[in-house]
Formats: sequence, structure tokens, C-alpha cells
Amino acid sequence: MEPSFLTGLPRYLFLTGKGGVGKTSVACASAIALARRGRSVLLVSTDPASNVGQVFGVGIGNTITPIGAVPGLAALEINPEQAAEAYRERIVGPVRGLLPAAEVHLIEEQLSGACTTEIASFNEFTGLLTGEESAAGFDHVIFDTAPTGHTIRLLQLPGSWTDFLNEGKGDASCLGPLAGLERQRSVYAEAVAALGDPERTRLVLVTRPQRAAVEEIERTHAELAALGLREQYVVVNAVMPRPDDGDELATAVYRREQSVLGDLPAVLRPLPTDVLDLKGENMVGVDALGSLFEAGDMAALPGEDAMSSRPVGIPAGADTLAGLVDQLAVQEHGLIMVMGKGGVGKTTIAAAIAVALAERGLPVHLTTTDPAAHLSETLAGTVANLEVSRIDPRVETERYRQSVLRVKGASLDDVGRASLEEDLRSPCTEEIAVFQAFSKVVNEGKRRFVVIDTAPTGHTLLLLDATGSYHRDVVRQMGESGRFITPMMRLQDRDHTKVILATLAEATPVLEAEELQADLRRAGIEPWAWVINNSVAATTTSNPLLRRRAGNELGEIARVLAAESERCAVVPLLTREPVGIAALRALAAPGPVPAPA
Amino acid sequence: MSTIEVFEPAMCCSTGVCGPDVPQELVDFSADFDWVRGQGRDIARFNLASEPAAFVTRPPVLQILEVSGSAALPVVLVDGVVAMAGRYPTREELSHWVGAVPEPAGRAPLAMAAAASSCCGGAGCC
Repeated sequence: MEPSFLTGLPRYLFLTGKGGVGKTSVACASAIALARRGRSVLLVSTDPASNVGQVFGVGIGNTITPIGAVPGLAALEINPEQAAEAYRERIVGPVRGLLPAAEVHLIEEQLSGACTTEIASFNEFTGLLTGEESAAGFDHVIFDTAPTGHTIRLLQLPGSWTDFLNEGKGDASCLGPLAGLERQRSVYAEAVAALGDPERTRLVLVTRPQRAAVEEIERTHAELAALGLREQYVVVNAVMPRPDDGDELATAVYRREQSVLGDLPAVLRPLPTDVLDLKGENMVGVDALGSLFEAGDMAALPGEDAMSSRPVGIPAGADTLAGLVDQLAVQEHGLIMVMGKGGVGKTTIAAAIAVALAERGLPVHLTTTDPAAHLSETLAGTVANLEVSRIDPRVETERYRQSVLRVKGASLDDVGRASLEEDLRSPCTEEIAVFQAFSKVVNEGKRRFVVIDTAPTGHTLLLLDATGSYHRDVVRQMGESGRFITPMMRLQDRDHTKVILATLAEATPVLEAEELQADLRRAGIEPWAWVINNSVAATTTSNPLLRRRAGNELGEIARVLAAESERCAVVPLLTREPVGIAALRALAAPGPVPAPA
Repeated sequence: MSTIEVFEPAMCCSTGVCGPDVPQELVDFSADFDWVRGQGRDIARFNLASEPAAFVTRPPVLQILEVSGSAALPVVLVDGVVAMAGRYPTREELSHWVGAVPEPAGRAPLAMAAAASSCCGGAGCC
């Protein structure tokens, strides 16, 4: 069965959506389907946590690599960090040995920020999009893009850069590193034209049948349509087929998902939509991916009876969420950061921990830096000792802009103010503004518990990068002997800060959490615990499809328990969405997690 | 007409809005730079982080970097001659070099810059 989004497909296909919805699976399955039709296909990943190589079981990297198992298919991973490194070298290389070493080092440090990474990735990306260089000769180019915020910025840049170059203001804001790229102006203009042309480009919004994921693509739809990308399709991935065995959990999941599907936002309803069934197997390898567009199989595997007689519930060696809360409560204050890719349930875990601590009589401040936060909906009520707030990037950015304009722009004339306002529209401004708000709550952990439901991973790392640069700036200004404590030092202090990595018991989310852990360790931050959320293995379901998923989970859970985590809690998939104080309380209740009746 | 070239320290952006604090002198200079350019005068600025090659090809600038490092920046060249180093020029100085009519109402008379926001913004780092 061929999905509608692959019918009459133009040359370029972009996939976007919240992290963890299966963009990579859909991109790989599309590439396989097209290649089997005899088309030549280039699959491009711009995700900082790309795992296309893992999916096909080959090393790819930043060169076009043929996928041996699928004739006609080649893949390319644009690693933003590697692209930034190459970009840095193009600028620094010619002057190394000519400028003093200390100055070269300073330049390299300045070119290590978020702006450079964005610009460098973008440069790689435009060449492919305009059909120049390496993409020539492929019938289709499929972009498995980064999570939404990053994607939008990436796609917005061609528009704003073209304006920027047209105005000839070669010295504004973060686009500084772009100076001298005037000659590439026609490439950028062509990239913008290609993105907005339905004859050339199709955008697929990938989601799961979950409210938060659907809201995410609703926002993306509006933002990208406003940028001129109107050729949009929807794919709802991993939808539970109708269970026929009366299993309580399977039935609850089915009903919950069908109600989300039946109530899609009005703006999405006119878009051509494909619904893909949940599969029992992980989408790794050519065989599994080749079946992604087929109907789901509810049957049990041979030998399944033995499986269902296995002990069920929290796997041996794993903790419960209540167990983690017990250990956290000992200290009576501190910063708890719940981190992980979008879609793994960070908000739920953060809210459950906050409610459990507050109900032990401990003062708690629950806050979020996630632009798509839904804390108030998750809590749907109030608890004594619990304060809830939100770091809204838009509000913080506006506050920062106004503050800079008022204080630093006070002595400027109208032209000067206009110029400063222009600079304050740069993408860096939001990072700085959010960072300043974030720094305040970091220090609050000295007095009470602060639980932060952080933004999706890429965003969070940018935030930490800002923290790191700030730390280096303060050290430079105050000297190594100065007495000061920066937010970065607080984040690295395990007595002050406890990082909890949230993930799902699936191959890709675990891999992404491992990469996040490695990134944090490079920043000198050691995660305190892992939480594996929505685990089917931790339930007592007897539904054959869910049992197959549970079987797949066990390997991932064992891997996290054995190698990755100091301590790890497993939270079962629930029959009801954990919304409201009572449901959150149950999630981190002392004692064993109650099994579904 | 004279040519002014301003060689600046390594920065992410020209007003410093990308850094943890926004330096007043950069904000002021950016406005003055735009004003001079708006007069149709020949003025250019080079950021060490994005165009280091420009520093290497101007011997006076390279010499200053070799002796004092980038702490000596910014350096201003007027027709290739070092006109100033270590601070940004004022609008009056820029006007003088390019022979422009000085701007009478360049600044608001009652500047409130003394209330500069701290980079720490209550974060308790300082």
C-alpha cells in the first residue's frame, strides 16, 4: 500500500515533526519505497542526533554513501558540529601562522557558538537544495530534518538572509560570519524559490496520535505555510490498530489515539493524511522499514505463550519513580532538571516529581523552558508547597529587547535605535534572554527544590552553550582567582543539580539519550538518573502486539540498566493519560506501581 | 574622500547583543557607523572572528596585533594610516576624518546610561 504523500512526489521531500515521532523511520521507508520503484534517491539527515547510519547498519557521515542493501539509495548525514568545524577552518586556516596564536585561539572560540553552527549547516544544505554539486543525478532528495524549532530556523534563514543581502547591510547581528558570502547570494535566492515551489518541494508533517505531537505539527504547519511552504502532507505514525482481545491497556491506548485522530485541529484536516499502523518490531533494518507502510499485524509471534507467562511489571534492577523521589527528598532542596528528546514525556515526569516532593511538605518550584510547554494542562490543579511558572522564550526575549533598548539605547537617535532594534532581532537574542531567565532559577535551588521541565535537546544544549560562554566570559573578566559562582558551576555541582534523562524503551530514543548524556559529560555535567517512560514491559498487558513491543523493550531497558545509568526508574504505560494531580500522584506513589486491574 | 576602516575584536555580532552583556560603546559605535554610511561616506568595519584575512593584509594592523594582541583593538585606519587604537571613535571624530558636517543632534541630551543592566541580572554570579 502506497501512502498518498509518495504519490506524484516532487524532487525534494522534507519531513518535520516533534523529536521521537519517527521522522527517520518514515524518511528511510520512503527512500526504500522510491528506490524499489527504480528511482535514484539521496537521503539527507540534518539532525544533530542523526541515526540513519544505525537504521541501515552502515557508517555514513558527511559523504554521500551508497546503501548496499537498497540499490539506487544513497545517504548523507550533515553533522552540524562537523560542518561548523569545516567552516571555522575555512576562515581560520588562511591566517594561522600569520596572526599570533592567542588571537587565532580567540577567533576559534568566537566561531564555536550557535550562530556558526546554524550558518555552517545551512551552507551544506543550500548546495543540495539548489541541485548543485553532489545532489545532481538523484531523482529525489529526502531530508530527514532536525526537530521542529531547529528546522524552522533553518528554513527561515534563506528568506531573512536574502533580505539581509539585498539591503546590503553587511554588518548586522549574528550574520556577521556571513560577511563575504555575497557571491553565494544567487544560491540562497534559489534555495528560497525551491522551498516555496510545490513542483519541486513537498513537506510532510510527521506526528504520533498524541495531543502534544499533533499540536506541534499544527504550529509548524502555520509557521511554514506563512513562509511560503504550502505543499504540506500529514503522516500519523505508530497508530494502535483496533484490538480484538478485550485487553484493557490495548483498548485504552486504541481509544485514546482514535479520539486524538478524530479531533485533529481544523487547519490540519484539509491536508492529505496517511495513518501508519503501530508495528511490533523496531524500525531498524531494511526488512522492518520495508513494512512500515503495510497494515499492522496483531498476531502473536510463535512461542508467544511462553512470553506472556513471564513475570511482568517493573523489570528487575530498575527503580520506581517513587524510589527516585525518596532519594531526592533527603536533601530538602536542589535543582532537578528533566532532560531528553521531545515526546518522551519530560513534562509528565517533571510534574510527577514536583507533586511528590511537594506532598512530602517540601517547598517546590516547577518551571519549564520548553516553548511548547503544557505544564498547566498536565497539572490541572494546585498543590500546597508547589509554585508553578514558565520561562516563555517569547516573553523573555521581548523583556530583554526592551531592557537593552531602554538602557543601552537611551542615548541614541532614531536611526541608531532602529539599527539596535534590527540587531536585537537576531536569533542569538532569544538564547541570551532565555539563558538569563534560566540563570535565576538555577540559583533558587539553594533554598528549595526547583524542578525544570527543559526544552527539547537541541535547544537545551544551546542553552548550556550560552551558560558555558558566559562562564568563560566571567572567568576572563574576573581572573581565575576571583570569588564567584556561575550558573555553569551550579549545573556541574552534583549536590546542587541533579539531571534526570527521560527516554522511552525504544532503540532511537535510548540512542538519543546516550548522545545527550555524552554531550552533558563534555560540559562537565554528570546525569544523576535515567527514567524510562511509557514502558509496555512494565505493564501486565496480554495483547499480542503490545507483548511484542514489550519484548523489544527488554533489550533496551537491560542496556540502560547495565551500562548507561547510575540509577534508573521505569514508568509503565498507563491506561489513562497522567493528567491532573491525582494521576501524577499515582505515578510517583510510594510502594509498587499498581498494576492495571 | 577619505576611507575609514575599523578593525574590531573577535565578536559574534556587531553590537554585542549576542554576548552576556551589551557593551554601550558598541551600541553607540554601530549607530555612528550607520550614520556615516548613511551620509554616503566610505567606511567599513572588520570583525576579527569573521574576516581575519583583512587584518593580515594591513601591515599596520598586523603589527599592532603582534605587539599588543587583540587587547589593542579596535584599530582605526584612515586612508591606511593608524588614526586611533584601543577605543571606538566618536561621531565627531568620524565626521572630522570624512569631512562630513558634524551631526548637531546626534545624542539625546539626558542619557540615562548610568542605570546599565548588569550581566548578572540578579543571578548572584558577581
